This record gives sequence, structure tokens and C-alpha cells, in this order.
Amino acid sequence: MGVTDDLPTLANLKNNLPPSVADRLRYPKVEQFQQPNVITTTVDLIFNWARSHSIFPFTYGLACCAFEMLTSGFARFDIARFGWEVFRPTPRQSDLMIVAGTVNEKMGPVLKLLYDQMAEPKWVVSMGACATSGGPFYDGYNVVNGVDKIVPVDVYIPGCPPRPEALFDGLLQLQQKIQQMSYVSSNTGAVDLCESKWRAPRAEGGRGVQQCFLEPRE
Amino acid sequence: MTAEIGTIVISMDELAVRLGEAFPGELADIRIQDPDTVIAQVEAAGLKGIARRLHDLPQIAFDSLTLISSVDYKTHFECVYHLYSFAANRYLELHVRVSRAKPVLDTVSDVWPSADWHEREAWDMMGIRFEGHPDPRRILLKDDWIGHPLRKDYVDLIENHPYV
Repeated sequence: MGVTDDLPTLANLKNNLPPSVADRLRYPKVEQFQQPNVITTTVDLIFNWARSHSIFPFTYGLACCAFEMLTSGFARFDIARFGWEVFRPTPRQSDLMIVAGTVNEKMGPVLKLLYDQMAEPKWVVSMGACATSGGPFYDGYNVVNGVDKIVPVDVYIPGCPPRPEALFDGLLQLQQKIQQMSYVSSNTGAVDLCESKWRAPRAEGGRGVQQCFLEPRE
Repeated sequence: MTAEIGTIVISMDELAVRLGEAFPGELADIRIQDPDTVIAQVEAAGLKGIARRLHDLPQIAFDSLTLISSVDYKTHFECVYHLYSFAANRYLELHVRVSRAKPVLDTVSDVWPSADWHEREAWDMMGIRFEGHPDPRRILLKDDWIGHPLRKDYVDLIENHPYV
């Protein structure tokens, strides 16, 4: 019977573990999720699939591009084929701002306020020449030369105005971008979550708007 | 009470003569522009009284103000009041010279309520102030905008563009 006494019981095993291993078992540490592993990649896969296939766009129509945006919601082009048809008139319930039209100086602070009211994660699509660069009104006294002076833009769609097919193409590229997002930070090789914080413009002593670019996944 | 359109049949010549008789010495340089518009020059000082009487004119009351446009002639400004008479189905344009040194006019927004926003726009774009206006703010540009952009000598300042 002396042999069985020497066998380690469960209580024995726990008590005799080195302190570092015991702590790790008791409290799973955040550091374990700083490297991509089977848990983080699975969570990324599920979340990115859900996010990219049910985008709630914010109805931010400012000019004639808005008609193309609304047309893409109707039966002929049918944005619901992609699962993006839930247009919301409030920033609180939407996660994609489609800036469709000319942004003027008076609308600039309003656009920034509405962007700040959107919940993370959030994306911005610049639709048409005006929202991208000012377009034909580049020299206008009241026109902001591109919405990227105010908020970070994920996808630019050229055209004046772009047809609904062009809008779908831009949103499909945004979908690819969303599907590469990860919770794991970029210094470990994976793609960072887009840092979508508004920065003060350079005229006010800020760093300017920071663009977020995708890095290829290794 | 707005009459039905065109209940009074009046020729253009007759309308011009009747307006000249009703406002002797006040409507100057009356001329006819085909097909349905009479153009007249008005002094800025008498604008308010003329507007009130035109609005209440018997039979051919000009009871609708469709537009106030402002023009920069470099030497002076000019405000153009586009009036319409529903009863006669005729238009009347009042041209008012405004000095560049003191661009002030009397408001007509108590005569025609539609003048309210047009006068705000004339103030916003051309810098013509309207004495007695109930809400003399800018209408299209930001409240802190510097300058009036449709003037010929407008200089665009960087302060107007925070997003550069």
C-alpha cells in the first residue's frame, strides 16, 4: 500500500505546481490572445462574416449621388442581394457612412458630429467625385475638397455620379476589407483593427486625418 | 385673398400706363419686356411705401413676391424685386439702386412674407442689409463666415476653410 500513497492525487498535483503555471491555469491572461491562435481566428471569422454581410448604411445623401444610392436600394439593382439594405437614418444604429454628395463648409462639423455618434466598428465610403475631392466644385468658396479632410475614408468610389454597379463594387471591396480585420494587433503579423478616431485638422495644430491602410496578411 | 389667375384681362401697354398713373414720379423708366413683364426703376427711399401700395392695388394687386435678386455692378449694387399679379397674370420688376458705400434697404418682409428668406440670402451673398428684418442672419453659409462671396471684390480667406 505504500506505493499508492506515493501516487499524486489531484489536490496534491495542484498544490505542487510551480506558481507561474498555477496562476496561468487559474487566470487566463490577456497576453495569450495577443498572438493569433485558434480562438482569435475563429472569433475573427465569425464576426467578420457577420459584419461584412449585414452592413447597416447610414443614409448620408447630400447631392445627386444620393439618388444613385437610393436607386441601388430599389428592386432593379437591389442592394438587399448583398445584405446591406437596412438603411438607417440615425448614426446610432448604422456602421457604414456612405457620404454621397458635395460636402460644404457648413456641413463639415455636422458630418464630424454624426460620424462620432456612430458606434465602433464603423466605416466610411466616399461616393462620387465631390465627396472624394470636391469634384467639379473644387474651387468653390464653400466646398470641402474631399470628405477625407474630416473623417477617415475606407473606400473611394469615383464617378459623377457613380452608377449603382460602381457603388456595389466599392461596397464589395469594403466587404473584403472588413473580412481581413482582426482583434490581434498588427505587430504580431495580423491586420490591425482600423483606428477610426477623428484627428484635429492641421490648421488647428493637429496631426491631420489619419488614413487606415490594409497590410497584406502574411 | 388670392384671386384666380387671369381674371382681369389687361394688355401690356394698358398695364404700363395704369402703373405710371398710379405711381406718378415714383416708378421711373417704365418699359415693357415681352411677353408679360413690366420693368420699372424705383428709388430706395420710397421702396417701402410703393411695395405696400402695389400689394394692395385694386384689381391688379401684385400680391406675390417671387424673387429678390441682387446684382453687383461694381459702381453700385442693384436689387431686383420680381412681383407677380395673380389677377392680371402679369409680372412687374422693380429695380432699386443701392449704394456700395452704405448698402442698406428697407425690408419688405412685412408686405410679402416670402421676402424674408430672399433678403437673408441677399445679405448672405451680397452683403445688402435690410433695415427692420425680423431675423437678419445668414441663411446658406456658416454664421461666422467672413465676407460676402458673390461680391465682385470678394477675397476668400483661409479662416473660412478649417478643413484644409
